[in-house]
Amino acid sequence: MIELSRVSKRFGDTTAVDDISLSIPSGKFCALVGTSGCGKSTMLRMINRLIPHSDGQITLDGEPIESFNPVKLRRRIGYVIQSTGLFPHWSVARNIGLVPRLLKWPTEKVNARVEELMGIFGLPVDEFAHKYPHQLSGGQAQRVGVARALAADPDILLMDEPFGALDPLTREKLQDELLRLQAKLHKTVVFVTHDMDEALKLADHLVVMRDGRIVQQGSPLALLQHPEDAFVESMLGGLERGLKQAALTRVKDHMTSLGSAIPAHSRIPGDFTLRQGLSMMMRDHCDRLTVVDASDVPIGELSLRRLIKEAQTERGVHRAG
Amino acid sequence: MPVRAAARLRAGARTLAPNAVLLTLSIVMLAALWLTSTVSVAPNRIVPGSAFDVVAAFGVAGALLVSLLLLALAALSLKAERVNYQAMLLLVVLILLLMPFGLMVAGHFLIDPALAQARLGIGAGYWTLLFVLLLCLVELRLRLGLKRLATAALLLGVALVWWLCARLWLDELALVQEFHSRQSAFYAALSQHLVLVASAVGVSLVLGMTLALLMRRFTRVEKVGFALLNFFQTVPSLALFGLLLAPLAWLGANVAFLRDLGVSGIGNTPALIALIAYSLLPIARNTYIALGEVRPDTLEAATAMGMRPAQRFWQVRFPLALPVLLEGVRITTVQAVGLAAVAALIGAGGLGTFIFQGLGQAAMDMVLLGALPIVIMALIMDAGLGALAELTRHGGQA
Amino acid sequence: MQASVVSLRPGFALRWLVPLGWAALLALAVFGMQYADGFFRWIAPDARQVIYSRASFLDLLGRHLLVVGVAGAVTIVVGVLAGIGVTRRYGRDFLPLAGQLASIGQTFPPVAVLALAVPVLGFGTLPIIVALMLYGLLPILRNTLAGLQGVDAGTKEAALAMGMTQRQILWRVELPLAAPVILAGIRTSITINIATAALGATVGASNLGDPIISGIVNSNMAYVLQGALLIALLALTVDSLFDLFQQALAKRSAA
Repeated sequence: MIELSRVSKRFGDTTAVDDISLSIPSGKFCALVGTSGCGKSTMLRMINRLIPHSDGQITLDGEPIESFNPVKLRRRIGYVIQSTGLFPHWSVARNIGLVPRLLKWPTEKVNARVEELMGIFGLPVDEFAHKYPHQLSGGQAQRVGVARALAADPDILLMDEPFGALDPLTREKLQDELLRLQAKLHKTVVFVTHDMDEALKLADHLVVMRDGRIVQQGSPLALLQHPEDAFVESMLGGLERGLKQAALTRVKDHMTSLGSAIPAHSRIPGDFTLRQGLSMMMRDHCDRLTVVDASDVPIGELSLRRLIKEAQTERGVHRAG
Repeated sequence: MPVRAAARLRAGARTLAPNAVLLTLSIVMLAALWLTSTVSVAPNRIVPGSAFDVVAAFGVAGALLVSLLLLALAALSLKAERVNYQAMLLLVVLILLLMPFGLMVAGHFLIDPALAQARLGIGAGYWTLLFVLLLCLVELRLRLGLKRLATAALLLGVALVWWLCARLWLDELALVQEFHSRQSAFYAALSQHLVLVASAVGVSLVLGMTLALLMRRFTRVEKVGFALLNFFQTVPSLALFGLLLAPLAWLGANVAFLRDLGVSGIGNTPALIALIAYSLLPIARNTYIALGEVRPDTLEAATAMGMRPAQRFWQVRFPLALPVLLEGVRITTVQAVGLAAVAALIGAGGLGTFIFQGLGQAAMDMVLLGALPIVIMALIMDAGLGALAELTRHGGQA
Repeated sequence: MQASVVSLRPGFALRWLVPLGWAALLALAVFGMQYADGFFRWIAPDARQVIYSRASFLDLLGRHLLVVGVAGAVTIVVGVLAGIGVTRRYGRDFLPLAGQLASIGQTFPPVAVLALAVPVLGFGTLPIIVALMLYGLLPILRNTLAGLQGVDAGTKEAALAMGMTQRQILWRVELPLAAPVILAGIRTSITINIATAALGATVGASNLGDPIISGIVNSNMAYVLQGALLIALLALTVDSLFDLFQQALAKRSAA
């Protein structure tokens, strides 16, 4: 559990972070989103005391972070940055094993852990252990960066635009890997990004920041359904918002049982996102799709007219998710 | 991309064109061989010698042999192929190995054994040949992509043969005679020179690195420090040596404690002080730059991973800065080798003594005895420290 | 136009102050040395004569400048031309060798170069000029190469794509961009040569090194001090002038 209460940070006359309160429950994935210079990186770096905060209190599991030795604190917290920050004079294996070595783990244990992590991140030990960072591709280097942050099995993982410098395909692959990993490990993750799609895809809890303040926070769906103001709405993509929202839910959550009408010609697996369903309707010039399960057996129907009606009732009830 | 592709295309088309560099160098060597004097013979060490051309020195057969070898080199350079480069490398090494034997032949032809003082001097043509052959070697090394170590081993082998020849059969050679007549003085000067260079570099390494660290920490020191060091660098060495003479002479004469330490206007102390003053700038500057070049996010990552400041410095910052730092040490050392020669003027000893004494006595062989080892020493230091700097670049990082 | 000149004035004057100051000190030393008899008497109480008088200081300064100037002019022309030549298509074969030569040549100590020039050229002013040319050539060649090769390939490609000829690219793109680096090389070369020229006194060239050498030989500190002072002032004057040029160039390219 990370808690920030009324935290501020001033650099000289400028206020980078202004009276922010935020609590991140253990095991949750929290994304801080905002334009550059909004103070999101500063917030991240205050948590592991890379920079001291000016006012307010930051606590980890109830203990104020000042009560920890900063060096020991940082060894308990994983940290990943956009430029990877890998040590260019160390091999991949040595980079990954850094924190365990700092914690004076026995050598065999360090080696075993390094091999385990390289396995998890799809970096064959024979091929990569002795490579140097400059011999890696961007995606490989960032995998090493994440592996290094996870090496000593910290409870908390701080990530500062980790995938910002990667090409779209690699970025998506690493996002998927991170999602899979998080489903297994349940770390408390604080993830800074300016890419709203990335945040929507990864986060349990989304915090939109502007000029050092929190504009709105909540679950991705809640934000999409009820953006607080024009800024949040534009961050969420303005007119594209509906589609982004649709990307967060599955087709099978919106289907109705198969009626007596003739089944629609186009078929879509229930695990696909609603956004993909809508796209298929546009492609195939129809307003109904037959939803199928993994073995292609029809299990329901997706109807555009129903979807619109559903949305209308939801707005009428005004239930904030 | 298109530019590079085009360049590759051009390079590919050119592999069958001549290598203009080696062709030019071969022609220069042939010209030097036939147009300038190969050796000179002097009756003693003071009288200037009379010059002899290549035919007089090596005989008709010898002159033709050398010319043929050079022509073969030129012919091989007409086709820029790897096989030809390899053959040329062989030829160049062969000529280098034959050169001392040429001197033996010349000695045999031209020196009257009855004249004990007579000596054989090396002429402009011979020097040019030697110098250009080394250039060929550099060019071939680049074309063949030879490793630094391989080239060094090759040169060492050649040097060994030369040394053996000089030791055993080249007694008539002026340089060898000069060496024999002042063998002990030579070794003393050599060690003085090395000690002077080593102590100057050693002291300025400690001082310079401390200074650089201070300048990193306190910005006010940075400005003043660099201004001062740049100022020293601008003052000519001879002037600085001269300017140090007066105050040090005064200190040595008037402060008993310093006199006991051996401080005086003439000798080692002013030389050492001046050398340190000159060495400080490259070392301090390179250390300063090297430490600054380590990327801030690498350092931040080190902190964020929970490294203590000392761990961060010794495990991350220092090793990453080391190559550039060693580059500073290389520049400093090579510079100090040359400056230590000037220091001979104020009585610091070293190989410069031979240069200035030789110039004073118009004894050119003595000048060579001082100058050649200095050049060789500088080249060895340069290559050695350069290789060391390369070694410290882990994993070939840029 | 007028207004801008006026507004530039204070900065302009301030920048010239440093080299002018050193030059004024140099002039003062050259012309005023003979009046400082009392001071030099105090430096060297035992010497018979305390003011160097084998030649006037102005004469020595002139010869020093002549040697450095001639060598400098030749090296600048040859060095820059060679640097340009080996980076063109026709000279590209020579580029690797020139690069190696420029870096290896740096390791040849100036004293050794001078000493090696004497056996070939004899005593006097000629060997010192040749030695200065050989030694001064390499920093200029090296920096010309570095400057020209440092020009971004994308910039050159863009120039080519805009329809500039090779000559236009050289004059309007490459040389202006490389100018600061080339100028830095010229500065290094000239500064080193001012110092090395003083060594010419040991091979019979008469210049500002003369008082130092004869002072050392006769252990007359006053002579040494006079020579050292003048060379140091000359070096600082020239160096500060170069500093001025470099700043002006940096300002121009930043604008």
